[in-house]
Amino acid sequence: MEVALELRDLIEAIIRGEAEAAVIIADSLLQQNVPCESIIENGLTEALRSLDTKCTNEEFNLLEIMLAGRAMVSVLDEVITPRLPSNSPHSPDKTIVIGTIKGDIHDLGKQVVKTLFSARGFRVIDIGRDVEPLDFVRIAIIEGAHYIGVSSLLTLNIPFIREIKRILRNEGVNNIKVIAGGAAIQQTRPEDLDVDYVAKDAFDALHYIDRDLKE
Amino acid sequence: MTSYDRVMSIFTGDIPDLRPVVPQIFGVTARLNGYRVYQYVTDGKVLANSQIRTRKELGYDILYVFADLLVEAEAAGCKLHYNEDAYPHLLAPVLQDLDSLKELPLPLPEIDGRMPVLLEAARLLREHVGNECIIAACVVGPITLASHLIGIERFLYKLIDEPEKVKGLLDYTEKVVEVYGSELIRAGAHCLIVFDPVSSPDVIPSSYFLQLESERLKRLYKHFSLLGLPISWISIAGPTQRIIPYYKESGINLATIDYEVPISEALSLSNGIVINGNLKPYDFVSDNPADIEEKTEACIREAEGKGSFIIGTGCEIPLEARPDNIMALVRVSRGLQ
Repeated sequence: MEVALELRDLIEAIIRGEAEAAVIIADSLLQQNVPCESIIENGLTEALRSLDTKCTNEEFNLLEIMLAGRAMVSVLDEVITPRLPSNSPHSPDKTIVIGTIKGDIHDLGKQVVKTLFSARGFRVIDIGRDVEPLDFVRIAIIEGAHYIGVSSLLTLNIPFIREIKRILRNEGVNNIKVIAGGAAIQQTRPEDLDVDYVAKDAFDALHYIDRDLKE
Repeated sequence: MTSYDRVMSIFTGDIPDLRPVVPQIFGVTARLNGYRVYQYVTDGKVLANSQIRTRKELGYDILYVFADLLVEAEAAGCKLHYNEDAYPHLLAPVLQDLDSLKELPLPLPEIDGRMPVLLEAARLLREHVGNECIIAACVVGPITLASHLIGIERFLYKLIDEPEKVKGLLDYTEKVVEVYGSELIRAGAHCLIVFDPVSSPDVIPSSYFLQLESERLKRLYKHFSLLGLPISWISIAGPTQRIIPYYKESGINLATIDYEVPISEALSLSNGIVINGNLKPYDFVSDNPADIEEKTEACIREAEGKGSFIIGTGCEIPLEARPDNIMALVRVSRGLQ
């Protein structure tokens, strides 16, 4: 089959969340000497773009994004990563530390963020659930992170989210941006949380970072 | 006119003496009465006292039998972690796979987990208010309970990977809701609210609500209506525009919607059912009474003449809310009659 058509099939398999089919198509593309970089650029990234458009049109739901994410991770883990040289231009150069704030153990949204950001080429350091504000800052500094992503389903934990920026200021760190996301806190404004941005969803967070990197 | 008659008038088409006000006000009532949330969710007397005192103080038109969304899951065997002054959270689901479902017994409401606590709260509330105010007890929808029993991430993948087995799980959770909900009504609740956050179009495609939840809700509401008041109430947050038109055929006649759906749009999609909402809960923490008055007034005006409507919040008023903001909601609602 023509490579362009097969890339289109790959994109559609990912969007439909068909992990096994996506892996078979990606493998077939490799057999036809299509470089990994091209599969990432013209397959995975395009699939992300389509999902993003779907999300912008408010057809977004967590299940479809999770399934697409699972398909994308399968392609990355089973086909791309084992063949990608470590000095590839697709090696991550931006780091984000993500975690669920102290007092909250919900992590489904965080998992989606992790998948999409990894597929987009970020180094994602997941520090887990119920994380102290100080640990967000400590690990972000150690890892040379550019962003901290803090997730919370509950408004009750907002005082802990507010702590992150205060600790960063106390440490004299002003080059790490803090992005918050999660169900209940979408009702809030950045100034309520003392963060740089409140993301509506994972794609909204990616858009914010895209804008931020251009500035 | 009593609070009970005031709310019922919206269903019967009678003219109420005052505009009914029905916010979702649960654990914050504990904090306003000097209790810790742990006490509220584990002691029926504390729950009932908190509800009664707060309603008396702030003057809205509803009483709730609601602890948290995990009562049914815990009674079925899930492990929870309790916090001193916040709601408990799920520590470990009871199911690791769908094949273990056949070993899972139905919970017994008088014995298992905190179901007896909630039944006691329903009895105490009914003893105290009789038919002066509607007592609404809360259950979770079959889809939401299923997601608790096996863990939400696993549940969502199973929806796709093992759809037939998921139907078996939903048959089980529907039965749990039926058994527990029936006991809540027998204990004193007038009606039930089904909370179903996982059925939100934010989480699953709206077609799944229609295929997997709608018929189950219809059966449950029919059953509950025979035992209590004919109020079949659902609360689903998020962009519910695509499922609101199907609420009526799911047996629903009262739907709480949140700020993501404009109230006028919800009413236009409602097919004549009563819409409750949709003030933003976090505003009761971050705003001041003047802001709340303005937003309440705007919401009422937007709904005016467009259908059957009860002002309230689209989701739970947060634990850290200011009581003067809740008072402002009641004050301006009454004043606009």
